Amino acid sequence: MLLHLNPSSGVPVYLQLEAQVKQAVAAGALRTGEALPSTRKLAAELRINPNTVARAYQDLERDGVTRSVPGGGTFVADGMPGLLKSEKVKRLRPHARQLAVEGRQLRMTREETLKLLEEELDKLGGQA
Amino acid sequence: MSETAIFTEGLSKSFRAQAAVRELSLKIQPGAVYGFLGRNGAGKTTTMRMLLGLVRPTKGSARVLGLDPTKEPELLRILERVGFVSQRKQLYGWATPAELVRMNKAYFPRWSDEAAAGLAKRLEIPMNMAFKTLSIGNQSKVALLLALAQGAEILILDEPTAGLDPVMVDEILRTLIEDHISQGRTIFVSSHHLSEVEQICDWVGILEEGQLLLESRLEEIRQEFRLVIASGEGLPVVLPTDVVSATTDGRFRRYVVAREAERFAAELRGQGATILEISPLGLRELFLHLVRKEDPCTLGNAGAKAAPVSSFS
Repeated sequence: MLLHLNPSSGVPVYLQLEAQVKQAVAAGALRTGEALPSTRKLAAELRINPNTVARAYQDLERDGVTRSVPGGGTFVADGMPGLLKSEKVKRLRPHARQLAVEGRQLRMTREETLKLLEEELDKLGGQA
Repeated sequence: MSETAIFTEGLSKSFRAQAAVRELSLKIQPGAVYGFLGRNGAGKTTTMRMLLGLVRPTKGSARVLGLDPTKEPELLRILERVGFVSQRKQLYGWATPAELVRMNKAYFPRWSDEAAAGLAKRLEIPMNMAFKTLSIGNQSKVALLLALAQGAEILILDEPTAGLDPVMVDEILRTLIEDHISQGRTIFVSSHHLSEVEQICDWVGILEEGQLLLESRLEEIRQEFRLVIASGEGLPVVLPTDVVSATTDGRFRRYVVAREAERFAAELRGQGATILEISPLGLRELFLHLVRKEDPCTLGNAGAKAAPVSSFS
């Protein structure tokens, strides 16, 4: 797994880690059933505190991105079929709002902002 | 494991009239990786030496794994369970690292030959040259090897990576994470390399003139601490306690705010200020804002001393 963290960016490192794993799953770089490295291994690889990795893994599991097998590691879960549509919307809305606000502040037009979003969706490839 | 790893209360040390450490109160939980930061002469080394019974406190008390380093029998038990890498490596100069390994292992019940051999290889240590002929970097690595192979519950590291090249620093971070932190063991480390501290520590304490200026979880600094830059006339002189530093730079004021930066900014706006920026700040920036005094554009750290910074520890 190719992860790149920036400890001095002001964004909590566990959030950076979560976002990148989610992105890798969304882009198909990590597939359903694939194993994630152990907390200890990933921490050593990234030279970060193991508690930070553990926290990100906990959140990813809570969000249904991964599932862990007792004593057997962490695996990419098969999508999030159990999540209600309304729950998905609720989760995404703050991000959409952030995009809208930043776009407006930077004097981007509505079309320009939407185009950006479409480009990012395209980058993730053809799923759904 | 429930015992506090390192605990000090009102710990103070003066050398003649000179106060080196003043009323220091620390509480470090087992498993924490605590970065102890401060400029040269801030009192970091003296604090560490007091924890290891090398310097006697003038006032206050210290406990390491619940044991008192000023009492001889308890100190021996501390030294068995704590690994120390000092800035000035005081090892037998004529001995080779291989000989040092043999001498050290007799003292430590939890010594691991396997760990020692693995570390010697991984850290590329020349094991058969006299210690005094080794480079500073290699001397540091030998000291680290001895501390790690002894199976210490706490590592006290005073500038462990000073004088090492970036590749070696990286290897040492990896070793510390894999062989020590991942086992839930504690580290108390002083370093000027703030980017390394930012990577592996989960707590930081900033010491200035022997006093703790700030103590916080690193994630809290990332999530809550913000730099607020404002311009305007007659901005407040009396600051809320969440403001840990305030400096003036011409028409601008920079505030480092420990939490609820948005609310503080709103207050400033209410007093006619224009807010130019609210941004997160890295450890390096935070450190400079807190301890720098000689910036020609700055009137001084007005808020740094006034704020009771320990309120969020």
